[in-house]
Amino acid sequence: MTTLLVAKQVLMTIYSKYEVYITPLLKFLLALITLVLINSRLGYMETIDRMTVVLIVALMCSFMPMNFIVLMSAVFVLLHLYTFSMECAAVIGAGFLLLFLLYLRFSPKDTVVVVLLPLCFLLRIPYVIPISMGLVGAPTSAVSVACGVMVYYMIHYVTQNATVIAAMADEETAAKFKFIIDGLMKNREMVVTIAAFAMTVIVVYLLRRLSIDYAWTIAMTAGAVVNIMVLLVGDLIFEINQPLISVILGTVISFLLALVLQFFVFYVDYSRTEKVQFEDDEYYYYVKAVPKVTVAKPDKKVKQISSTRSGTGRSTRPTHHS
Amino acid sequence: MLNEERVVLMTKMASYEAHEGKKCLAIGSYFRNDYIGWQVLKSIISATIAFVVVFAMYIFYDFEIFMTEIYKMDLLEFAKNVLFLYLGTVGAYALISYGIYAVRYSRASKSLRAYYMNLHKLSAMYKNERNG
Repeated sequence: MTTLLVAKQVLMTIYSKYEVYITPLLKFLLALITLVLINSRLGYMETIDRMTVVLIVALMCSFMPMNFIVLMSAVFVLLHLYTFSMECAAVIGAGFLLLFLLYLRFSPKDTVVVVLLPLCFLLRIPYVIPISMGLVGAPTSAVSVACGVMVYYMIHYVTQNATVIAAMADEETAAKFKFIIDGLMKNREMVVTIAAFAMTVIVVYLLRRLSIDYAWTIAMTAGAVVNIMVLLVGDLIFEINQPLISVILGTVISFLLALVLQFFVFYVDYSRTEKVQFEDDEYYYYVKAVPKVTVAKPDKKVKQISSTRSGTGRSTRPTHHS
Repeated sequence: MLNEERVVLMTKMASYEAHEGKKCLAIGSYFRNDYIGWQVLKSIISATIAFVVVFAMYIFYDFEIFMTEIYKMDLLEFAKNVLFLYLGTVGAYALISYGIYAVRYSRASKSLRAYYMNLHKLSAMYKNERNG
């Protein structure tokens, strides 16, 4: 157990020191995986179905803010759908527009959930997101999670019924329109999933805030149980016939993943290495502030900072940082 | 002279300005009513666009039926219902936005108050140094 804790501290030290490089790398990987998956599921437009385009866009995403990945994913999805069927693109585009106008405008910190949730659905571990968001987010994360679920089901419906939509004649625009909107509005599975996930987020959030021992583990367990129960109840009421085994198995795996997450990403307010510059009447200051993280073995370095003004050659007291 | 305490304070303030402070300073540069009013206005415009999109979807959903019924139904009644629905939804959304942005403004000003206190402290340090 102690070796795990030491490993965790070492990892956190490394992350604090090299955050400047690690974060763009992670953003690049996320963008790459997302776009590759979108292309594999919806590869209708050949111009963007190429690895070079994906790599260039992923590279751009790595140094833009996180919301850029969400934007690019939406653009890719809409471009593919436009090539496939204009009505699909219109309906899904309207859906994205509504999501943006009504909720994402407030730029909550967890817009990336809208991209992560469909990814996790494809990897068959969607339940990890509501549990994790309850642990690290706020109750409003329930709305972000709901948006993510809606995005997934919108795209899922189109891919499931691609052959049917393609088979409809080109003149039957109105019929295609109605078919697509029907599929989205009357999607009971989506409603039940949204309800289950939203309740999971809120339950996990409320329980982890309690000041009792193991509050987080209790919250995660309760969240997993609530998730299964709501999905089952919804299944019974609306007769969706979701395979019970996959729901329970998926929830258990998600719970274990959430445990791993809890261990490593326990707190969000990590301190990062700061490089700041400022000046006053006498000096220019170039300051690098390195966070103190308690590591198993101490590691002392002594650095001397001297002023760069020629002639004065003054030096400050040596600074220690361990 | 390098005053270590002063450098530490300035570093903390520079770090605040670079990260959390950026948003707070942007919000704080408005008066409360101006900020909330402007954001609520943007919300109303977004809600209007969203309402138009949903209304268009609704029309296109049963377009043929709508086209045949448009001659039979009471257009004034229909328009009145649509208007009430519009005012209701936009009103509710504006109210929610008002609440959200009011909370954001108070959080930003609280955070800025601490920043300005540090600024005073810094200025006092400089004054002390100058006076001896």
